[in-house]
Amino acid sequence: MSLSARMIIVLTLVGLISGGFLAGVATLTKEKIALNVQAEIEDAIREVVDKAKINTVLYEEKNLVIYRESGDGGDLVGFAVQATGVGFQDKITLMFGLDSALKEITGLTIIDQKETPGLGAKIEDREAFLQFWENRDASGLLTLRKPPTSKIDELLQTEINTITAATISSKKVLDIVNLSLERVRELIEQGKMNTEEKDGNEKH
Amino acid sequence: MATKSIKAEYLKGLWDENPVFRQLLGMCPTLAVTGTVITGIAMGLATSFVLILSSLVVASIKKLIPSQVRIASYIVIIASFVTIADQVLKAYFYPLSEALGPYVPLIVVNCIILGRQEAFSSKNTAGRSFIDALGMSTGFILALLLLGSIREILGAGTFLGYQVMGSWFKPWIIMILPAGAFMTLGILLGIALLIESKTKRR
Repeated sequence: MSLSARMIIVLTLVGLISGGFLAGVATLTKEKIALNVQAEIEDAIREVVDKAKINTVLYEEKNLVIYRESGDGGDLVGFAVQATGVGFQDKITLMFGLDSALKEITGLTIIDQKETPGLGAKIEDREAFLQFWENRDASGLLTLRKPPTSKIDELLQTEINTITAATISSKKVLDIVNLSLERVRELIEQGKMNTEEKDGNEKH
Repeated sequence: MATKSIKAEYLKGLWDENPVFRQLLGMCPTLAVTGTVITGIAMGLATSFVLILSSLVVASIKKLIPSQVRIASYIVIIASFVTIADQVLKAYFYPLSEALGPYVPLIVVNCIILGRQEAFSSKNTAGRSFIDALGMSTGFILALLLLGSIREILGAGTFLGYQVMGSWFKPWIIMILPAGAFMTLGILLGIALLIESKTKRR
């Protein structure tokens, strides 16, 4: 056999066998990976909306997903908003909850971030940041409190404490939430977010 | 090439030819994912999986591969094992895979792996290549463990997530940033060279 024929046969075989193995592994793991991604979103929702049991996608667009949250009996308990925006280093994906009247933010959690470890990454920390997002006013723009106050009661309902040494990351999270809230209000006005809708894409 | 005993073949990866401290290979993951002990160990294990299996495959089929296309074939084999490792991590160790980010797919360009195929597996039997890969893997994991431990303890005051430093300790944030990785690696390399020069003075 000539050398070039051998080279072609060997490379083809190596490629085919590897491809076959990869196809097998992908089939075995595909479902599990999809479940992991979904579980991550469901965990995030449970963190920000109390008593949320059934998640229904109400509205979906690039970088924004709105879920209607219902309890065991199908009664409305609130909404969850998943939003992605630009952070200090890379994209930040977060999830925040809204009460059933769409008046208050019930909580916020970070799904994915690549901020500076030890500084900006504190946006994931409850003590340093996430606790300030509970029961915030959702009717207008939220602002940052800088320098942060140690007395949490002193914070206005529209204020979030800034993380010391991570102002930009704090601001980026705030911007993502403010933008999403604006979009949610817009959608309600346009009637694109039917809050009463019960059928649709139900996910348990 | 003089044949070494099986034990010597394994042990050389731990110190004499340690991939990180003596060969200076695989610096990218060494620097990038040793901010915490657990990511360091996970990266070490994923790399070991790829290194050991690629070595076995390459050593077994080396006679069939014409030398002109050997690098291309090795890379396809390595890339396949890397993709398998990536998928398995995503499916069964999702949080770890998120923490390691793009560095799992980047194992494919880790020089330790291609280096060992070219320098060792393509010239030795499957058994010997397996032992060699096992030794190199152990050496790599130990190096990552050492770097990860130093950086996590000094940078966060914890080890594997458990608080080990008292409340008096103020974490050196720089240690978990890239600069801390370079400093730690530099100092460790210096120490390794010092030990080498002291023990092998000619």
